[in-house]
Amino acid sequence: MSETRGGLPPILSVRGLKLHYFTSKGVVRALDGIDFDLAPGQTLGLVGESGCGKTTTGTALLGMPSPPGKIVSGSIVLGGRELVGMPDRELRREIRWSGISMVFQGAMNCLTPVYTIRALMAETWREHALSARANGAPSEGGSDAPRPAGAKNAKPDGEALEALMRKYVRLVGLSESVLDRYPHELSGGMKQRVVIAMALFLEPKVVVMDEPTTALDVIVQAQILNLIKSLRKELGLSYIFITHDLATEAEIADRIMVMYAGKMAELGSSEEIFGGSPAHPYTEKLLASTPRLHRRVSELAFIPGAPPDLVSPPPGCRFAPRCSFARRKCAEAEPPATDLGGGHLVACWKAVEDPEYERS
Amino acid sequence: MSAPEAPARAAAPPSDSIAAERADILSVRGLRKEFVSRRGSARVRAVDGISFDLRRGEILGLVGESGCGKTTTGKLVMRLIEPSSGSIVVDGLDTAGMGREEDFAYRRRVQMIFQDPYASMNPHFKVRDVLEEPLLIHGIGRSKAERMEIVERALEMVKMTPVSEFIDRHPHMLSGGQRQRVATARTLILSPRIIVADEPVSMIDLSTRAEILRLMKAIQSDLGLSFIYITHDISTARYFADRIAVMYLGRIVEIGTQDEVIDRPIHPYTRALIEAVCEPEPGRVDTLRDLKIKGEVPEAADIPSGCRFRTRCLFATEECARLSEPELEDAGDGHYHACRRWKEI
Amino acid sequence: MRIGETLSGLGDFWKEYRKVGSGLVGLAILGLFVLFAVLGPALVPFPGAVDHWHDITYWQDNPMAAPPAWTNALVARKGAVSARLQPTESYPSEGGGASYAFAYDYRADRPPRDLIFRYKGSGKVFALLEATRPDGAKAEIYRGQLELGTDWQRISVEHDARAGVLELVSSVDEFIGASIDPASARPVSLLFSEIESDMADSPRALKGEYAFELRIQPLSQGAKAGVPELLVSGQVSGVLGTDVSKRDIFTGVVAGIKWALFIGFLTSIVTVILGVTLGVAAAYFSGPVDWLLTRVYEFVYLLPVLPFLIVLSAIYKPSIYTFMVIICLLFWSGPYKPVYSMALQIKEETFVEASRALGSSGGRIIFRHIIPILLPYSFAVMALSVPGVIVYEASVSLLGLGDSSIVTWGQILEAALSQGAVINSLWWWVIPPGLMIALMGMSFAFIGSAMDKILHPKLKTR
Repeated sequence: MSETRGGLPPILSVRGLKLHYFTSKGVVRALDGIDFDLAPGQTLGLVGESGCGKTTTGTALLGMPSPPGKIVSGSIVLGGRELVGMPDRELRREIRWSGISMVFQGAMNCLTPVYTIRALMAETWREHALSARANGAPSEGGSDAPRPAGAKNAKPDGEALEALMRKYVRLVGLSESVLDRYPHELSGGMKQRVVIAMALFLEPKVVVMDEPTTALDVIVQAQILNLIKSLRKELGLSYIFITHDLATEAEIADRIMVMYAGKMAELGSSEEIFGGSPAHPYTEKLLASTPRLHRRVSELAFIPGAPPDLVSPPPGCRFAPRCSFARRKCAEAEPPATDLGGGHLVACWKAVEDPEYERS
Repeated sequence: MSAPEAPARAAAPPSDSIAAERADILSVRGLRKEFVSRRGSARVRAVDGISFDLRRGEILGLVGESGCGKTTTGKLVMRLIEPSSGSIVVDGLDTAGMGREEDFAYRRRVQMIFQDPYASMNPHFKVRDVLEEPLLIHGIGRSKAERMEIVERALEMVKMTPVSEFIDRHPHMLSGGQRQRVATARTLILSPRIIVADEPVSMIDLSTRAEILRLMKAIQSDLGLSFIYITHDISTARYFADRIAVMYLGRIVEIGTQDEVIDRPIHPYTRALIEAVCEPEPGRVDTLRDLKIKGEVPEAADIPSGCRFRTRCLFATEECARLSEPELEDAGDGHYHACRRWKEI
Repeated sequence: MRIGETLSGLGDFWKEYRKVGSGLVGLAILGLFVLFAVLGPALVPFPGAVDHWHDITYWQDNPMAAPPAWTNALVARKGAVSARLQPTESYPSEGGGASYAFAYDYRADRPPRDLIFRYKGSGKVFALLEATRPDGAKAEIYRGQLELGTDWQRISVEHDARAGVLELVSSVDEFIGASIDPASARPVSLLFSEIESDMADSPRALKGEYAFELRIQPLSQGAKAGVPELLVSGQVSGVLGTDVSKRDIFTGVVAGIKWALFIGFLTSIVTVILGVTLGVAAAYFSGPVDWLLTRVYEFVYLLPVLPFLIVLSAIYKPSIYTFMVIICLLFWSGPYKPVYSMALQIKEETFVEASRALGSSGGRIIFRHIIPILLPYSFAVMALSVPGVIVYEASVSLLGLGDSSIVTWGQILEAALSQGAVINSLWWWVIPPGLMIALMGMSFAFIGSAMDKILHPKLKTR
C-alpha cells in the first residue's frame, strides 16, 4: 500500500476515510472508504465525474467538510500527525495552510473585490499564521516564548511579511506591482496565480488543488500547469490534483486515483492508467469518451445512465448498473481494492478474476 | 424533421430549386460588430471583419478562447444582434435590411443551440411547452393534437424515449444531457437548414458529452444539416467538425479542414493553441509545454495596430506592427491563414 | 399555461401555504371578517340597520351611549338589556280595534331607560296602555289619541306615562305615592322598583314578569294600525353598545367590514396591475418609454401621500370612489420599481433569448415568459398593500374628510373622538373600530408575508 518513490515514508496517509452529508433528505454517503498515500514530491491525481467524491476528499483533508458533512471514520495522517478528530483550533493554527493548503474550485472568483491583493494575502496570513509553530515540533509554551525566525513567525504587517508576499508573487510569475492591484483589474490567469501564491506562501508541504485550471482559457491553462509543475520542483511540494478532466490529469499526476460514487475504482501510475490498458472498465470508458486532438478517433464512447444516488447506493459494485461487463456477482458483492502488482490497485471483479473476460 | 408536417401560416422559405444549385448555404463577408458602452467611452470591436463560407451539409467549427468573438459571430448569424457592417447571405438571400416578415421566416432557416442547457429553457415550462412554443409562434399544426404529434416525433428524434416519461417534466427534473437533447429537439422542430451550436456540451458532464455529440452528428448526417459549431475545446472540434476556423480577438486567423489545421497549423496562434492542449497520454508529467506565445490577450477595446496578434507573437517584427492587418492567404488545399511571415517561421 | 396546470399549481401552492402558521392565522381572521360581512346584517338589532347608519332618526329609540350588553357579566348591579319585543298575544277588541299583550321578564338590578311602544298605520287611533307588575299592582298608565302615519308613532313610558305610573304607585301605597315629587320622578325606574318609602332615591329592583296590554281603537274612518312592538331601551345594549347618537356600534362595525374589504381589495388589485404593467413596459421597451415612465415614477413616488390626500380631500371632498382612484394613482409606484428590475433581469435570461431566436414577438415574451414569473410577487404585494390602504382611508376619515355617505371604521373613530367618547370613557365606541382596522391590517400582512415567504425563493428563475 505505501507505494512511494525512492522508498521514503509517505508525507500524507489516508486510510478508510468516510465522509457523509447529513441532509434532511437522508444521509448522503459522499465518501465511503478511501485509502491512499502521498510520497514527498509526488502528485496524486483524483479524477472522476461530478459527485464522485473528489472535491469532498479535498475538503476533508483540510478538515473543512462543507456542512452538513462530517468525517464519519477513517484516518488522515499528515507528517506523522493524525488529523481526524483534531480540534478545529489546533487544525487552524498548526495544520491548515502551514502544513497543507488548498486551491479551491473557483477560488479566483472569490477574491473580495474591495481589497487589494496585498490586503487579501495579509488576511490569509493573519488567519493561519499567528501562533503557528513549525510542523510537528512540540509546542514551546505560551505566545511570549521567543519564536524561531521563518515564514510562519513573521509578524503581520511587518517587513518580513512584505518580503514573503513579494517573493511568492514573483514565484508565480507575476510582477510585484500586482500587490497594489484589485482583483477585478487582473485577468483570469493572473488571479489564479495569485490564488496559488496565497496557497503557497505559508510554505506548506502538501497542496490540494481542486480544478485549478477548469475555468481558464486553453493557453492560460497550459501556462498555469507549467507553473504548477515548476513550483513543485522548486519548492519540493507534493500535490493532490483534483479534476474531472483526464487529459489535464495526465499532464500533472504521477499517480492517479479514479473515483466513482464515493469509492476508489482504480489507483495506478500514469503509465498504468493512460498507457493503453487500464484495469477498471470505468477508467477505460472514461478514456474512450475523451476527445483526442492528435489521434483520429472515429467514435467517442459514452457511458449510458447516471451515477447512483448516494443516499442509498446499490449493493455490490457501485458501477455495476452502467458497466458492460457486469455479472451477477458484481451486483451482489462489493469488490475490494486489490493490488495487481507494484501498487496498481483496482476495485473490480472482472479486473481481478478475469482480465480477458469479454462482454457477456 | 425530414418533411414539414402541416401547412405553415407564416411566409414560406423561397423555393429550394433555385438555392439547390449553390454549394454554400451561408456566406459571410467582412462581418463586423462593434459594441459601444453606454457613455460612449469604450468601443469594443467584438467581431472585426470576418469572412467565411459554410457549405451545404458541412460542419464548420469556430474555435477560439474567451473574448475572441465566436459567440458574437453565432448571434450575428442568428440575427439576435444586428451587424455593424458586412454581409450575411443565406441561401442566396442577403440578410441586410430584412423586414419583419422576412426575419420571421429566417427563423425557420437558422436555429441555435445554447450553451447553458438549463438557462435556455423557461423553468416554469414543461418539456411539451418548450417544444410547442416554436410551433405556436410559426403557426405549425392546425390543432393541439397535431402539434403534440410533432412534439413527440421531435423527442423521438433526439432519443428521449419513452416520450411520455419526459414530456411532462420541467427542466430541473432533467439531467444536463437530457436538457440539451430537448434543446436540440427544439431547434429541429422548425426544420431549419442551418444550426448554430454555441458550446453545446461545455456545461455537461464528461461522460455524457460524447453521447450528445454523437447524437448531433447522427442527426446532422441524417438530415443533411449545416452546422456552425462554436467551442473553445479544439479536441471536440476535431471530432465533430469538417472544417475549423480559428478566431483571435475578432478575426479569423486560420481556416481549413480539420486535418490541415490541427496536423499542419500555420498561424503562430493556432500552433500555440494546439501545443497547449492536454492529452490523456502517459509520460507528460515532468515535461513543460513549449508554448510559443507570450503575454495576455489585449483588451478588445484597444486592439493592436497591424497584425493584432503581434503583441503575443514570438516571431513578430516591426513590419508586423507597421503594415496593415494581414488578410487570409491561401496556402493550398483550401487552407487559409493570416500570417505574413509564415514561410520564415 | 393551461387551466389544469394552474389548478395543480394552486394545489402545490396551498400545500406550501399550509405550513406557514402566520399565513393560516391571517386567512382565518380574513375568513371571520367575510363571515361577519355576510351574516352580520342578520345579527344587528334592527333588520336593515346596516344601511341606516347616518340616519339619526332611525336610531332614536335606542339608548344613548349604552355599554355593550355583555358588560353586565362584569358588574354586580346588572343593567337592563335592550330588547325588541313582539306581542305575545293579540285579540280583537270591541269597537274594531285590537288588544296586544306584551310580556317582559325583568331580571336586572337597574331598570331600562325607557319602554317604547311604537307602531305605524294610518288615521287617528285611541291607545290605552295597562301595566301589570309581578307584585300584582296593575294600572292604566297611559291613555291618549295618536295620529298614525308611515313613520313610527310611539308611546314612551318615561315621557308619556308619568302620571299613570305615579297613580300606579299610589294605588299600592298612597302615602309613598304622595311622597314622590312628580317633577323629578322617573317613571320607568318607579315602575320597576319595589314600592317602598325611598323608592325614588334608592330604588330596589322588583324582578319578575311584567305584563303590558296595549289597546288600540281606531277613531276615524279607515284608520288602521299595524302590529306594535315594544322597545326596551336598556342600560346596556347590543354586542358593542351604542354611541351618543344612539347608533348600535356593532351595526356600524359590521357595515364597515364590507367597505374595508371593498376598498382594500379593489385598490390593491388595481394598484398592482398598474404597477406591473408599467414596470414591464418600461423594462421591455426601454428607450424613450423607459425614460418617460421612470420620470413619472420618480415624481409620484416622492409625493407625500397623506398630506396630498388631506389637501385633496379638504378641497374637493371626494367620494370614496374618487378616493380609491387617487390611491391607485399614487400607490402604483410601490410595485413599479421592483417589477421593473425583475423584468429587466428576466429579459436578459437565456431562455428569453432562445425564445426570440425562435421568432417570438414582444407580446409573447411579455405574457408567456416575463409576467408568469412576476405573478407570485404580484399577489404578495397585493395582500401587503391592503392594510396600508385601509389605514390611509381611516386617516382621511379621521380628519373628517371622508366620504360621509358610507360607513367606514375610520369614520366611526372620527365620530367617537370628536363627540367626546374619550372624555366620557365610552371605551366601547373607540376600541372596536380601531381594533378592526388593526386586525384586518394584521390578517393581510400575515397572508402577504406568508405568500412572500413561499413564493420568494421561486422568484429566482433557477
